[in-house]
Amino acid sequence: MMHTADMILALVLVSVLFCLCSSRMLILVKWIVFQGIAISLVQVFFHQQAGVENIVFAMIMLSIRGILIPLFIYIAVKKIAIKREIEPIVGYHASLFAGLLMMVFAAFIGKKFNLHSIGSNPFLIPTAITTLMAGMFLVMTRRKAITMVIGYIMMENGIYLVGMSLTKHTHYIVEFGILLDVLVGVMLMGIILNNINKTFDDIDTTLLRSLKD
Amino acid sequence: MVEALFVVPFLSGILSLYFNENHRKILLMVISIIHLFLSLMLWFTHPQPWFESYFKLSPEGLLVLLITSFLFLLITVYTVNYFKASDMQGKRLFICFMLLFLSTMSMAALADHLMVLWIAIEATTLASAPLIIVQRSKKSLEATLKYIMICSVGIALALLGSLFIIISMETGGVDVNISFSELTRLDAQLDPKWLKAGFIFILVGYGTKMGLAPMHTWLPDAHSESPSPVSALLSGVLLNCAYLGIFKTNRILYAAGLETFSSTILIVFGLISIIVASIFILRQSDYKRLLAYSSIENMGIIAFGTGIGGLAAFGAILHLIHHSLIKSALFLSSGNIFLAYHSKQIKQTGNMIQLLPKTFVSFFGGFAGISGFPPFGMFISEFCIIMGAFQKGYYISVGIFMVVLAILIVGLARHVIHIGFSPTNQDISFKERYALVIPQYIMLLISAILCFWIPDTLHRTILAAISTIGGGF
Repeated sequence: MMHTADMILALVLVSVLFCLCSSRMLILVKWIVFQGIAISLVQVFFHQQAGVENIVFAMIMLSIRGILIPLFIYIAVKKIAIKREIEPIVGYHASLFAGLLMMVFAAFIGKKFNLHSIGSNPFLIPTAITTLMAGMFLVMTRRKAITMVIGYIMMENGIYLVGMSLTKHTHYIVEFGILLDVLVGVMLMGIILNNINKTFDDIDTTLLRSLKD
Repeated sequence: MVEALFVVPFLSGILSLYFNENHRKILLMVISIIHLFLSLMLWFTHPQPWFESYFKLSPEGLLVLLITSFLFLLITVYTVNYFKASDMQGKRLFICFMLLFLSTMSMAALADHLMVLWIAIEATTLASAPLIIVQRSKKSLEATLKYIMICSVGIALALLGSLFIIISMETGGVDVNISFSELTRLDAQLDPKWLKAGFIFILVGYGTKMGLAPMHTWLPDAHSESPSPVSALLSGVLLNCAYLGIFKTNRILYAAGLETFSSTILIVFGLISIIVASIFILRQSDYKRLLAYSSIENMGIIAFGTGIGGLAAFGAILHLIHHSLIKSALFLSSGNIFLAYHSKQIKQTGNMIQLLPKTFVSFFGGFAGISGFPPFGMFISEFCIIMGAFQKGYYISVGIFMVVLAILIVGLARHVIHIGFSPTNQDISFKERYALVIPQYIMLLISAILCFWIPDTLHRTILAAISTIGGGF
């Protein structure tokens, strides 16, 4: 029997795979919106009976993860006027295959470190690890700095999923602080990218190679 | 009261946006004096924080806090005069972010909750990035992007590590507040598997910020491309905050009886940092990058000392204090050199002893200090680390350590002698005002005094900080 939480986690995995194989920036941003919303919804359906504060918090999460953060990226993409990633270091088909391998690996890891003793969903940790690894993969294998920022957001999404398995020690104020840091970080990255774009006429990281030893 | 240390600079930072230029400078000075006063009060009165589950006055936190506010005051004095001497752009946001930076660093020093520490350290990245970008040159933009991307991704791993430590609490059946102080005092067992994983991720994460070797790549760029007062802040103050995260996690591992695991990793990372730094220092052509690599080296020494523990841990904490003082003095002096020669290349400089005599004193003194020559405190700290390593029987590691340190001194000396004495036909129109050298003199003087005489409260605080990792004599 499929629970709602399992279904949403499956959707998160789908969004991860699509992020790995799409080259158009706007589509990438759309998938990040989708992923952010799905991850915030896991919070609601994860517990058997969700309290009011849980739902309110999930709504705040949703508005930041699903709307505000992607909005900054969207503005940056529009201002910088890049449509697509050209020549990634690892091609799209290879990335997709790597994504599938990550899933297998994550399932393996999830089995090995069984977290059933603290009562979490068996799909949660594998999904989290896949999202995290795919995020790092995007950071490492794409040439446009904006795709790296998207990879960073995916990493944060994955870490948030790991944190969701730990319900006993959740302080909403702390979670909110973490999210605020991520939000401001993404905003700053957007501003810096915009400045770089004005100075260099492109945000290809191959141009940013003047500092080295 | 405790929270005022980061709330006051934060609010005044926001407020400073609405002031005019002169008032902003006065505000910066006033706030840094108030901050020093407040942290001295904390040091002597030990009040209770309002939010006890998130903040706590720990001995190591107090040390870092005092270094932070003391150096911030001196660097502020320099900065205000640096503005006059150079035509720096973007002063309005600059002062605002200086204050926010102070606020986030104080928060990191006071944090006790694992996640609050993470929030504070990530916030230091965010508050300091705009300070680097202030010159808007191509290179500074590149350095800032590198800084914010590498540090954010790295620190995200530290967040994962903190979560792993919480998992180790849950699987071990421990139910306490997620704070460093409670986890260190714990009688119950944390799950060692997750705790080890957590330590590795935290070390990689905060190690990125601290500048430990394989993750150090942002550090030379950010330190060399930012204006000199900012480099001094980054190197002298910020790196300590990141070190706090590693130090406190290391103590949790000690309390859980996993000290051999954590010390081995710290020693390895420390040695790698020292070796990498020595390779890059030998063939460096830019004096600010030279100083940045020297910071990596010193962070490596601190990690090495912490890993060994015992007397070496005492040395590591002393080294932290003296590195902050001396490296800030060196970076501020490098600001004067840049204002005089308009170049960061070592080749373009020379004959400083005649052209810039006052700066020469602070730069050469700083060089002597950073190399560990006796009148300055690094002599004592490095001596403690080496003695501690011998006591514990780490003969091979300490052998490598000493050889690399010797290479480093030779490498540094070659460049510093070029800057100081080699003939040059450069024309210098820069006038060395006293305000641009006095802060460095004070820093070096204090390092020299602390070499001969450590006040009793300071001594007790250091011992309290390292008591759980087998520190002391």
